[in-house]
Amino acid sequence: MIGDLLTATLAEEIAAAPIRVFVPTTPATAVAARAARLLGNDRLALSEGFTALAGPQRDWATDVFTLLRRGLLGVAVAPVQLDAAGRTNLSGIGAPGRPKVALIGPRGLTENNDTPCPLWYLLAQHSPRTLVERVDMVCGAAPSRTAGPRVLLSPAGCFELVEGAWRARWLAPGGRDLIDAAPGFAIEIPEGTPERAVPSAAALDALAAVDPGGTRLAEFGEG
Amino acid sequence: MPALREILADAVPNGALVACGGGELQRKPMAAIRELVGLGVGGLRVATLLGSADVEALLGSGAVVEVHSAGVALEGLAPRWREARQTGTPAVVEWSEGTFTAALQAATLGLDSMPWPAGLGTDLPAVNPWLKEAQDPHTGRPVLAVLALVPDVALIHVNEVDEEGNAYVDGDLVVDGLLARAARRVVVTYERVVEADPARVAISRIWIDDLIEAPGGARPTACAPDYAHDSEGLREL
Repeated sequence: MIGDLLTATLAEEIAAAPIRVFVPTTPATAVAARAARLLGNDRLALSEGFTALAGPQRDWATDVFTLLRRGLLGVAVAPVQLDAAGRTNLSGIGAPGRPKVALIGPRGLTENNDTPCPLWYLLAQHSPRTLVERVDMVCGAAPSRTAGPRVLLSPAGCFELVEGAWRARWLAPGGRDLIDAAPGFAIEIPEGTPERAVPSAAALDALAAVDPGGTRLAEFGEG
Repeated sequence: MPALREILADAVPNGALVACGGGELQRKPMAAIRELVGLGVGGLRVATLLGSADVEALLGSGAVVEVHSAGVALEGLAPRWREARQTGTPAVVEWSEGTFTAALQAATLGLDSMPWPAGLGTDLPAVNPWLKEAQDPHTGRPVLAVLALVPDVALIHVNEVDEEGNAYVDGDLVVDGLLARAARRVVVTYERVVEADPARVAISRIWIDDLIEAPGGARPTACAPDYAHDSEGLREL
């Protein structure tokens, strides 16, 4: 199942990242973070929203931005649009300030897109509506050279932003067709790019341990 | 002790900038908003980091001319917020979570503006007059200068207060501590009174002007862990 493959990959990524806090944004990202603690990042703190680290954490509203600037906070987001240069949009479709279709708003995309922290984009679909050449409204600026790893996980596979362009790390089964169907979002597929269909056994075990009911799968239309 | 309506009638003149505490579907000051709507004040400017039922109820009242937020949603998209943004009426000023927080921080320090490390290279300065690209006078590096946002009144709902008037929040404080320090007047509604527990104080009484008991005062949003949000109530807004 693609939900397991992507959630397990996110869990392994979080486990290997030098972050102290992860901010879950969906059930699958929360499951991935809890699994990451079993996979080696056992001191990782989880925050839901603006507080809720273990014990009183009353300065979170300002601490979150300090953690972002210091590279210590991880988050996986699902923007409405993500573009070929890594810009993000959660505000709306149409011209900035005059959207044809207004959505939620910029939220924290402005603060988390260009930081020394690792950042994951976790998308349930590899859709040409989401993955575009240029976002309609730039909420999150293109990551600069000092940005941490920017990794896209989609049903097409796993991709990293390298020097301002997306490059495949591995492809899911059928990934090439999905990439071809979103031509505005250019992805380089180096020769010898591997295909991955199933998560590692260790990551799958960790998912099963923290989420035996499979709540992670609903956002992928599975389970 | 004056009633909530009397306090709001005194605290919220026509044209006031009203900031709402809580965030998303948590601890929105709905009891205060319902009273405010009933007062018939107009020309209100409303600000909240992450809005939901608060923004939708105020937009529905027709009393609002301007909304400031980094995002508004209910369980799904928020219809009046979307309509305002798509039609331009009333005016919507889009913020990010960080720039909104910076605008409040500037207010707490009495600064005209303060620099913020994110937002350059985005479209936010083009749509939000509170944000301007500037140069750091020491290094010459570009920064985003965020104009202070000084609420005339902050409406905050909390779980508990003690007899000294300190406020306790059992769930997410969001940016209410900052809001209480930034606003000219702070009106706090609460679920119940408890014994003082200094280690748990979320907002000190030194920042609070008015305290009013309002059990269920966040409904139809949640006041964790006391009650969850009410989906049906959200639909009836």
